[in-house]
Amino acid sequence: MTDLSQNYFVSVAEIAAKLDQATTIAQKLSLTASNARAVALRAGERAAGFRPLTDFIDRLAEITISSSKKINQMAATLSQTSAEKVRADGAIKHFNSVYKIANESPYIDSLDEVYERCKSEQDRLEKTYRRQIEQLSEELETLSSELRNAVILATLSRVEASQAGSQYQDALINVADNVEGAAGKIKNHIKYSQQMVSTLEEY
Amino acid sequence: MKTHKLFECPSHTWLMFGRDDEKPEAIIDTNQYMVVTKNNSLLMDPGGIELFSAMLAAVIKQVPANKITHLFASHQDPDIISSLGLWDQALPSATLHSPWLWESFIRHFGMNNINYSAIPDEGNTLKLDGVSLEFIPAHYLHSSGNFNVYDPEAKILMSGDIGAAMEPVDAPLFVEDFDEHAKKMRMFHQRWMPSNEAKNDWVRRVRKLDVEMMCPQHGRIFKGDDVKRFLDWFENLEVGVLNKG
Repeated sequence: MTDLSQNYFVSVAEIAAKLDQATTIAQKLSLTASNARAVALRAGERAAGFRPLTDFIDRLAEITISSSKKINQMAATLSQTSAEKVRADGAIKHFNSVYKIANESPYIDSLDEVYERCKSEQDRLEKTYRRQIEQLSEELETLSSELRNAVILATLSRVEASQAGSQYQDALINVADNVEGAAGKIKNHIKYSQQMVSTLEEY
Repeated sequence: MKTHKLFECPSHTWLMFGRDDEKPEAIIDTNQYMVVTKNNSLLMDPGGIELFSAMLAAVIKQVPANKITHLFASHQDPDIISSLGLWDQALPSATLHSPWLWESFIRHFGMNNINYSAIPDEGNTLKLDGVSLEFIPAHYLHSSGNFNVYDPEAKILMSGDIGAAMEPVDAPLFVEDFDEHAKKMRMFHQRWMPSNEAKNDWVRRVRKLDVEMMCPQHGRIFKGDDVKRFLDWFENLEVGVLNKG
């Protein structure tokens, strides 16, 4: 079990890694959309109802890719901030220890300026860190609600696939399965990331 | 961390920090040196992260923090300069003097504020309030980019790993019996110094300097005739060899 009080910057890096995987899956979803369009074209009139759905799959893939990339970027920035924060926290810890060891030093006051500067940098990083977590959390929620449409899209695809005749039915059902599968996987990554983010928010 | 005054004159003072009996056991004991002039200080080989608090505490017993204006790293090793990221937070206006060869490596320790002054291969001189401190080339002794610091007025040579010996933290400050001490240095020099040619070239150049005290980064300080004894011993030692300790 990760001890967040010690390793929050590791948790942030884990979130970034999870979301990188989500981007890869979203790219596969885009491939599914192209595949769906080709099958629908071949099926001609029998898949007339399926064709508009391919546009929606395409749109879903596009939104998921751009949002995943954005989230991934945000997580990477957050990871950088948290690493800087660890460094600033470490410096403050060292300075506190110097105050303790050298409290009778004639020049101990000369450390005050250094301490104040590092403390204000630590505060700035803390605020940046909190703001970035909040933004990440919001973006994850936005993508999560977009992905709810994937379930509806998969259901509609299955209904339309059943109209397309036996020759194309399997291929179109496969498209529906892919949409549902990809969306499910991405949702799992997002859910995991949301849980991690909420733990970071509490910390 | 103990502090010893090695030299004092109206223009400047040499201090040595080390023999830290509170350091974690697995960490090698190191000697740090500082030259204090009227308005500036040069802290040499300030040490690793683990030493930082003890080191800063020892230093500000001597000078205020804003007077530590210059740092020197003889080479890139972690026991020399891995504390850089913390000094960078403590002394954002300071300058670090270090071999040009190691600049892009040393920056990995974290350097956003401190200015890096790259020492060219042939060395150069730093003037602090009129006091000249010469960066003397000591390449391949042991690092491929490596310098000593020589103060012609104090006749002190800060020799980095040259003359180093691994000793307990309660070891005396100065070499007392050279032959006994040489036994502790032999393996270290044979293993860590890779080049006889570089070693002999260094010995030839250092013989021309007037050195009263030779101060290594580990172990004891050589004084007076022991400096000459060391140069003779080092000249005759075959280095860059394995399993001959």
